[in-house]
Amino acid sequence: MLGLFKRATPVADACELGRTAVALPLYSGCGMPPGCPVVVVDARGCTRRPAPAKRIELREGELAFAFHPGPYTVDLQPFAQAPEIGLRTSFAIDCADPNAAHHRFDLYLASEVAGRLGLDALAGAVEAALQRELREGGLALPPCATIEEWNAFRLGLNQLLYMRFGLTVDDCVPVDLGASRDYAAMLAARVQACPTQAAAAPARVCAFDAAEPTLVDARALRRLFLELPGVMCGLRLAALPSSPEQFRQQQALLQRLDLLCVGASTMPALGLAAPGQPLHIDEQLRRARHSRRATASLDEAWALLARLKGANPELLAPLYDDCDRIVANLETDCEGRRCARVEEAA
Amino acid sequence: MSAECRSILADGSLLTVTATRRPRAGRADVKCQAPGDARLLERMQEVVRLARHTETRFDSRDQVVISIDRVPGALERDWELAVVLADRLARGLWQGPHGPVVANGWSDAWHLGRIEGHAVRDAPVGTLLGGADGLAHLGQLSGHPDRAASVSSARAWFPLHAGGAADSLCWVEVSVHPLPQERNDCAADEEQTITVPGQDAARQLAVRQALAGAREFDGRGAGRWRTTVRFGDTGFQGRSFELALVLADRMARGREFLPRARLIATGQSQAWHAGRVDTVEGLEAKCALLLREAAPGDRILLPQAWQAALPEGFAEGLRALGASVACVERIGMI
Repeated sequence: MLGLFKRATPVADACELGRTAVALPLYSGCGMPPGCPVVVVDARGCTRRPAPAKRIELREGELAFAFHPGPYTVDLQPFAQAPEIGLRTSFAIDCADPNAAHHRFDLYLASEVAGRLGLDALAGAVEAALQRELREGGLALPPCATIEEWNAFRLGLNQLLYMRFGLTVDDCVPVDLGASRDYAAMLAARVQACPTQAAAAPARVCAFDAAEPTLVDARALRRLFLELPGVMCGLRLAALPSSPEQFRQQQALLQRLDLLCVGASTMPALGLAAPGQPLHIDEQLRRARHSRRATASLDEAWALLARLKGANPELLAPLYDDCDRIVANLETDCEGRRCARVEEAA
Repeated sequence: MSAECRSILADGSLLTVTATRRPRAGRADVKCQAPGDARLLERMQEVVRLARHTETRFDSRDQVVISIDRVPGALERDWELAVVLADRLARGLWQGPHGPVVANGWSDAWHLGRIEGHAVRDAPVGTLLGGADGLAHLGQLSGHPDRAASVSSARAWFPLHAGGAADSLCWVEVSVHPLPQERNDCAADEEQTITVPGQDAARQLAVRQALAGAREFDGRGAGRWRTTVRFGDTGFQGRSFELALVLADRMARGREFLPRARLIATGQSQAWHAGRVDTVEGLEAKCALLLREAAPGDRILLPQAWQAALPEGFAEGLRALGASVACVERIGMI
């Protein structure tokens, strides 16, 4: 049988799309859910959006996602220490032009999403990016913000979410979350959980070492491999230099990023010190720590590109310095990931 | 760039920690120097690296060299806080007070930024002491609540006007403990749940009325909390601390955006239940003080009535320092 008249299998959980799920994986032979664009990621991580068809056919090593363009509305918490104040944000995924060469959201799917992308997972990632940027000062949302400060924050947020995730923010308003999140009850629960104060550690500190280092490392390397070219491209476009000095700086940065790209694609296997020679588990954990830190630098790099995009030419100098710092951090971590053991140099 | 931080040893003598930042050039990120004591050296390195876990910004281009000028006793750990602070001062992450910093404190949880206690007794005034009754965690240096503790406490600063040279910033700290759920129903008088240790009756009354009024304006938070208010200084007059107090309370209760560093505010009100901010006196002196004291990331809030009378170049001066200023008519969101 040629399978010409076979019916397309419906996608599992397709009715969740647009409600609790943002993107779902598709398998060969699945039908395309109506109204949901499809992204195909090939074996090398390149993405394309196939034309609408009855059924989807995938080649060897290809992955496909169907996503719903939205709009979605979530409550983000801008500060971890202020749970009763939130930002009600509604965003949509840009899918106007199916022929555009690169969509940031497609890159996000290809490099960071494994399987289903739930709305809560996406909101968590957005919230983490927002909190980090507020802590570091890239965005400012001070107490009693004036209307100009709020507008500046909104512009920065729009840029950040577009650069980092490919999301377009439709609306964002501060809301009082006191009715749904009671801080007093949360604190009381902490007292109950551990009567001695010192033991109340945030969970994320120890979460890493318990996780499988191989998996963490593989994901991190995939991100480096796929996103570094995107960062380079963004740097070329977003940071137009305003003086010959800055032009030289930009060229130097691009060159270093280029070397990093090469380095990321030739990274040695996590578990091997040399061919056929296994590496001690402590060193493996150290290597995985470095690759995870390198992905944190990638996040910073995307946030920086968002700031570069709307920046005044006079204010470019500190941003270039920040860029230099991020690239230096990436170099340190890639070097740490590469070497089999480190000797402490004084 | 180099910074110094001191610490009091058990025998009463002063130990000096010096931290210097220099280009890394392929060396380790932290280098410690102690006169002939390998065990101390190892612990210094560990403390600094653990405390750096609480920072967001990582810069691999710098090496910080930290040296200690004398060896503390084998069981002494009170120097740890001084080492951590010197490391931050050298990299400009924290602007200490003018003059030398003396700090004592130890911790087993530096990676969470917690400081668990201090061993020194009868330290001179102005010493930074770690522990629950002083500096409980590193974020408190800029007034932020600890995100994992079961007691939430926030600090805000207000300018004190004492005739020129003696002008200074004073802090007010609001700590809130959740009240047990069953006691919420008895609708206890809000003012009775607020304690202000170490202050006279008039100040206690002013603090209670301001907080109760502001919580009424807020609409939430009545009958939910047991509150303790502490001041960095007791010998001051007037009511210009009220705005700082009210905002510290909102931050502690998790209902206010946080500044990147300190929140410095001056203002009072006859009508906190309406959220209104009224004017206070001493505009010129306080503005001059703020320009002297502001550090990167600070947020400065002034009454709306000051807007027209602000000295020339005040806002630009603050922006150049990395701080931001706003004149507010009422508290709350936008």
